Amino acid sequence: MKNIGEKIFKFIMKFLTLFSMLLLAFIVIFIFKESIVFFKEVPILKFISGKTWNPLGSPDDLSILPIILGTAYVSFVGIIIALPIGVGSAVVLSSYTGDKMKRFIRGIVDVLAGIPSVVYGFIGLLVLVKFFEVKFSFSSGESVLAGGIILSIMMLPYIISTCDESMEKVYKEYAQYSNALGVSKSYMIRKIVIPESRRSILASIVLALGRGMGETMAVMMVIGNAPIMPKLLKKCQTIPSLIALEMGMAEVGSLHYHSLFAAGFILMLILFIINIFLYFIKKRMDI
Amino acid sequence: MDILTTNNLSVSYGNRKVLKDLSMNIMENKITAIIGPSGCGKSTLLTTLNLMIEENGGNFTGKIFFKDKDILSYEKDEIRRRIGMVFQKPTPFPFSIYKNLTYAPKYYGIKDRLKLNSIVEDTLRKVGLFDEINHDINTKATKLSGGQQQRLCIGRALTVEPEVLLLDEPCSQLDFKNTANIEDMLLKLSRDYTIVIVTHNLSQAKRISDYTAFILDGELIEYGETEEIFTNPKDNRTKEYIEGIYG
Amino acid sequence: MSEKIKDSLFKIWIILSTLLMFTVVIYIFGYIFKNGIASINMEFIFGDPKGIPIGSEGGIFPAIIGSLFLMIIACIFASILAISTAVYTVFYCRFKKIESIIHLIVQCMAGTPSIILGLFGYTLLVLYLGLGRSLLSAGLTLGIMIFPYIEVRVEKTLREIDKSIVESSYVLGISKAYTIFKLILPICKKDIISAITLAGGFAMGAAAPIILTGAVIFAPIPKSLSSPVMALPFHLYILTGEGISLEKAYGTALVLIMILLIINIISVVLNMRGREHS
Repeated sequence: MKNIGEKIFKFIMKFLTLFSMLLLAFIVIFIFKESIVFFKEVPILKFISGKTWNPLGSPDDLSILPIILGTAYVSFVGIIIALPIGVGSAVVLSSYTGDKMKRFIRGIVDVLAGIPSVVYGFIGLLVLVKFFEVKFSFSSGESVLAGGIILSIMMLPYIISTCDESMEKVYKEYAQYSNALGVSKSYMIRKIVIPESRRSILASIVLALGRGMGETMAVMMVIGNAPIMPKLLKKCQTIPSLIALEMGMAEVGSLHYHSLFAAGFILMLILFIINIFLYFIKKRMDI
Repeated sequence: MDILTTNNLSVSYGNRKVLKDLSMNIMENKITAIIGPSGCGKSTLLTTLNLMIEENGGNFTGKIFFKDKDILSYEKDEIRRRIGMVFQKPTPFPFSIYKNLTYAPKYYGIKDRLKLNSIVEDTLRKVGLFDEINHDINTKATKLSGGQQQRLCIGRALTVEPEVLLLDEPCSQLDFKNTANIEDMLLKLSRDYTIVIVTHNLSQAKRISDYTAFILDGELIEYGETEEIFTNPKDNRTKEYIEGIYG
Repeated sequence: MSEKIKDSLFKIWIILSTLLMFTVVIYIFGYIFKNGIASINMEFIFGDPKGIPIGSEGGIFPAIIGSLFLMIIACIFASILAISTAVYTVFYCRFKKIESIIHLIVQCMAGTPSIILGLFGYTLLVLYLGLGRSLLSAGLTLGIMIFPYIEVRVEKTLREIDKSIVESSYVLGISKAYTIFKLILPICKKDIISAITLAGGFAMGAAAPIILTGAVIFAPIPKSLSSPVMALPFHLYILTGEGISLEKAYGTALVLIMILLIINIISVVLNMRGREHS
């Protein structure tokens, strides 16, 4: 009896694990299945290299180069802003704080990570976009820059927690030796802690890049959603916001419907590559 | 009467051989002490006797007989029930004392509250905790002192009514008074149970055991009545060890 | 440049960074609180949305309840899968290779954008399986989204258990399944619940996966799993995006953030208690 129970339990665990793992395969298969219909009409290379997006026009007008570039551009702007702030905060967190302060700051970082993206978008629209329009009298505050700034705030928690972990380790390891040499703390951090943490800084960049490119709501609400070649102070479009905005309007089974899956498929490919890259960086970090 | 017999038992972890051609008989209702310098394979011997060795990534060749039957002919779980084990470090479950002691009986199908209560009470008496804890069986086991925790762990091993009790340096983390407590208890228990105790404390082996085995570098050097081993060792290495040469 | 100047610049940099981060957090909360508090009253929290266009007056009660329902479904679905996967990986998986593959897949799932999950839920659940835009479709999609977060944290907790405690169960001749149910899961209970709550908060705040799978502009409190639902983040998006009512949008944002903050605090408190015991 007991042996049978044991076997059944093991089987259930195995089955549910397999099921969970297959979810990823299902996701890939279903997105791919729906996009392949589109790729039969429009070759994939044309899809990602063409410059027009007009779902009401001919199939030739469905291509997403500006949108891919927009997705990347917004994320890069986000990282450029978030990286110095994130690494700076991680240095303070890892090397300049006592236990109580550490817990407090980590709590704050968690709170930042816990704010829903739609709230970020909401604030971005009401504060940032408005600020651009009023203070700099842009014709439209909705822009790559606005998206980048909002994303940078959302990226901060990822960058801080990834860097903090390894910086703390390095700091603890070298603090004694360095103190014995009589060099200042900040000198030691500059010369040892930050260089030694370069791998986790890289990991945090890749992680943040992945998050940024996949972000939907916050970005969608502040970039203006125009499928044109992205410029820093002009409107743009990203793949996630394209899908979120147009999927509801697209008739099921139409070419437009399938093209949105195709765009999702391209986004997924980009992110898988980023994530596999991240997996190997992390794996080597542990050794 | 011997209850456990090993025949040319060799144990290895991967390529590393830990025990070599070990043959010995363990007598029923006696205390057998296993002594030897650290790393000689004493603990490995214990984990082999209840087949935990495979869980830890080792494997053995040779034969082990339990009650004259090949140990591999039993179910693994049955062997572990009938040959109990207590570790060096006390490992109370982070539950109440009551739950620690009913954990295993419930698994073996005892559901009756009264029966469970009597198991708990009997066990606590056997290990001498009954009066010490003032009948407060709902105290968290992790709140007990180290010595009490270890006695509770021995008690927990007894709740499944084993025939043999394997103890891996059960007193090494305890002070003198707690050690004396446990030694007393083991002497009493040996009327009903066969006890095999690994120890690095020679005087402990001398005080409580009936038989002593000396293991060095994975080989059984000498095995016999404790009296004999300590007063008149046949092998020179045993003599040197007892006199404190290996430390 | 002398090392002294470099040192000072370095210090200015890190202090400014930290201050900036604090400012942002305080600003976000202050901003929403200041603007949202005026719209909070009994009618707003416990009333139905009213007015033309809908939402411009009245309350957000169906959205609050809808969000809670979505969170519960997501948590149930995700935690069954996540705990099983973690238990399998830690206690049953014998090959390092399979373990790494599981970790890679979990990480890839965590990295999959929520909108892709929404697309997936839309084609598989809504269209293919015919569940329609519903509480169930949206809840399951959110469940897929939080699965990796729960799995990673539960697996970490399971690995932190003292090995000798687990072994002392095995040496009593007790099976793995019983050990897992009666010893390991009870020991980790608080940590696991904390992980699930945290992930639940994450699910509750997400809008992208539910836009396509079940969230609607107006619906009464769902009567069954197949009813469409209102949800706070989606409601906030609609109120802002369609320019329906800024005042109600501030109120909705404040309610959403407060609920998430409470969930966060519960999770942290549980986690601290869990630590004490182990």
